[in-house]
Amino acid sequence: MPYAGQVMPMLSNISLGRYYPAHSLLHDTDPRVKTLLYGVYLVAIFIIKEPVSIAVLAGIIFIQLLTAKITPKILWATVKPIIPLALFIFLINVFTIKEGDVLFSWQIITVTNYGISRAAIMAIRLIFLIISTSILLTLTTTPLKMSDALESLFAPLALIKVPVHEMSMMMSIALRFIPTLAAETDKIMKAQQSRGADYDTGSFVNKVKGYITVLIPLFVSSFRRADELAVAMDARCYRGGKGRTKLNPLKLTSRDVLVGIMFALLATLVVTLDFSLR
Amino acid sequence: MPEDPNKIVVKDVSFSYDVDEETEGKAPRLALDGISVSIEKGSYTAILGSNGSGKSTLAKIIDILEVPDSGKVVIFGKDTDDDNLFWDIRSHCCCVFQNPDNQIVGTMIEEDVAFGPENLGVPNPELRERVDQALKDVGLFEYRHKETMALSGGQKQKLAIAGALAMHPDILILDEATAMLDPTSRDEFLTLVEKMRKEKGLTLITITHDMTEALRCDKIVIVDKGKAVKEGTPEEIFMMNDLWKYGLKRPVKFNFAFEIAKLTDSELTEDDLRSTETLIASLVKMLRKPGLKAPENVPSPEKKTDDNDIIMSVKGLSYVYPGSDTKALDDVSIDIRRGEVLGIVGESGCGKTTLISHMNAIFRPHEGDVIIHTKDGELSCRNKKDTMKIRQNVGLVFQYPEYQLFEETVYKDIAYGLRKMNLDKKEQTILIRDAAAKVGLSERELNSSPFELSGGQKRRAAMAGVLVMKPGILVLDEPASGLDPKGRHEMFRIIKELRDSGTTIVLVSHNMDEAAVNCDRICLIDNGKIKAVGTPAELFVKKTADELNVQLPRITRFSAMLRTELEEIYPDINFCGNCFDPEKEAKVIVDAVCRAGDADA
Repeated sequence: MPYAGQVMPMLSNISLGRYYPAHSLLHDTDPRVKTLLYGVYLVAIFIIKEPVSIAVLAGIIFIQLLTAKITPKILWATVKPIIPLALFIFLINVFTIKEGDVLFSWQIITVTNYGISRAAIMAIRLIFLIISTSILLTLTTTPLKMSDALESLFAPLALIKVPVHEMSMMMSIALRFIPTLAAETDKIMKAQQSRGADYDTGSFVNKVKGYITVLIPLFVSSFRRADELAVAMDARCYRGGKGRTKLNPLKLTSRDVLVGIMFALLATLVVTLDFSLR
Repeated sequence: MPEDPNKIVVKDVSFSYDVDEETEGKAPRLALDGISVSIEKGSYTAILGSNGSGKSTLAKIIDILEVPDSGKVVIFGKDTDDDNLFWDIRSHCCCVFQNPDNQIVGTMIEEDVAFGPENLGVPNPELRERVDQALKDVGLFEYRHKETMALSGGQKQKLAIAGALAMHPDILILDEATAMLDPTSRDEFLTLVEKMRKEKGLTLITITHDMTEALRCDKIVIVDKGKAVKEGTPEEIFMMNDLWKYGLKRPVKFNFAFEIAKLTDSELTEDDLRSTETLIASLVKMLRKPGLKAPENVPSPEKKTDDNDIIMSVKGLSYVYPGSDTKALDDVSIDIRRGEVLGIVGESGCGKTTLISHMNAIFRPHEGDVIIHTKDGELSCRNKKDTMKIRQNVGLVFQYPEYQLFEETVYKDIAYGLRKMNLDKKEQTILIRDAAAKVGLSERELNSSPFELSGGQKRRAAMAGVLVMKPGILVLDEPASGLDPKGRHEMFRIIKELRDSGTTIVLVSHNMDEAAVNCDRICLIDNGKIKAVGTPAELFVKKTADELNVQLPRITRFSAMLRTELEEIYPDINFCGNCFDPEKEAKVIVDAVCRAGDADA
């Protein structure tokens, strides 16, 4: 078996759900605080629309990046895959919004100043969203901690028979297997390429067909892995959340609360600023 | 009747995986068929058997991962039928499975080790102590905050051991836990496990296909078709002459010793097998018996392939993985001769797979080039236009190719490559049948779903999918890994036949024994560089091997001891070369002794 990270040039840029090991203020913050903060920033990102407040939010996100010790390289790897989508959203909005002063018009295409500013906001929101998710959640929180946080936050739901523990376990295992399955996909594609498969050329239909032959063995092997993992978990006496202890139980310290309040205040500040500018 | 509290007792256990009603009328296939085994507390037992014999199921029954359909399992006096004892029994028995990736639950190393004791409800700070101790025991303590995915295969298996030790088990079961490791990590892993066994008084059960590994145990149980057919000390078991019937064979040195006994009309006894020293002593005695007959067909030094007929040249190849600072390949140059079997040997992660991925343009060279010499001229891996032609000329079979089968039938799966070549149906059929015949697949197997085949058959079906393109060069990455001795034998027979029919073969392996027997030349790779290229006879001479810091094949190490003894007795003895096949090596030894004896007389 190749190690993950060893043989996956095609898929090495998948950074979704990747943890970035480091010691930083945000890494050490209680994941529940980070999850709640994430909720706060989600709202903030989608409420604000004034350029000034967007700039201020960018500044805050920059501060977060620094406190999480995320390098520009890692940031770029996270943002890069989303740029085509952001561009697409930008263009769709530019061409479809017809309100405002017309800047340019040719046949059915009209570009307005309002359209451009709306489109830019949309694209920026998407990018902010991705960066926030990464800084507050995936890059600074291990999947197991993440699922601990969700389990703890949603614990009240267990009273109405929602299988909270099971769901969080499923989530953390899914995240743990992303790199493994990415490596596997790469291996299958290489094996099929060496048998003459070609994923890059040909018509769209052909390309889709090509990927189906990748998906089948990938599914089969995922089932096999799931089976083996289930046995391995069984062998290690897994029996649900009841009576389970934790090596690193979540502990809310005053520092966590302080970090939470500080960043929540910053978000409120941006939103207030935005409203006052309208 | 109270059961012995110092034994694992499995009594008349039957178990079947297909319990669904669909098999009405047909008796379900039994994975275990009235098996009875008893294992002493604190012992070290190997369970041997062919693929699909029921070994792993037996392990699962002992850990109550499966509940027997009938029969009784009592672990140290505790009956597994008693629901109140269920968790007690399971928590004191731990398993380490074959595939490291499929048993790691945690993303971070210490999180994974903690998973078991967390499930047991061990409170802090004891939990923390257990995790730290287990990590120290296996030597991964410094890595505790690292990601599990960053570990190598051998380290991942050590992590699995740490996860087991943290549960404070009485029984540790290794289910082919070393199958995916290279020889160095294998030794390290077994030494570690054996040390843990001594320190913690574990009962150790190991399921393995490696006969030499089984020699390290106190006791061996052979499982065949769901029954325990033989039980005994390694010496007793390897005295048996019908091991092949169970898909097994003797460890290399015994194989060699029995061949010498046969050639000298002598008998080996259990006592002879007890240790290497006693074995050497009795072999010397056999060889000094008067009236020794020289064997026929003493193998002569191997035939040479033509140095000038080059089919592929790798020229100054270097490769760096994106995001990495070290070179996976560093200025690698080698010429592959037409019709040879070239072995590429090295430890995991040395660059073997990266090298072969360049051979059919799956990786495009960053620096250097790979040139394929065909009848119609030269093809360069740098040239994008040649890609399709290169892939037809160079067939590449990755490790565990059976995991990549996907069509409804084996026939269609083999046809996959051909469909991209626009051949008519008739031509396709001929090629497919031809490929299937080469790997020994029957008509019935061609029409069945690939998922119904056994492990060895699946592997051969996947190979046929590459052979169908009639490649002049076949590159195989660890073609025999995970197979039982019989399956391995079969695989190398196929490889030899392909070579004899003119296919050039590049064989990647970390098994020195098999590489030495099956390759014409061997290319040693270390840290992305070629360390040496030569015939097995050139490389596996003690002096050269020491200089290169490679392990000699087991047969050579053992035979060298015998040769030293013989040289003291017959100062003029002259061995004609080294052979790596135990049977051939035995002939070389007997022949040399005969000639030396004649000279003496």
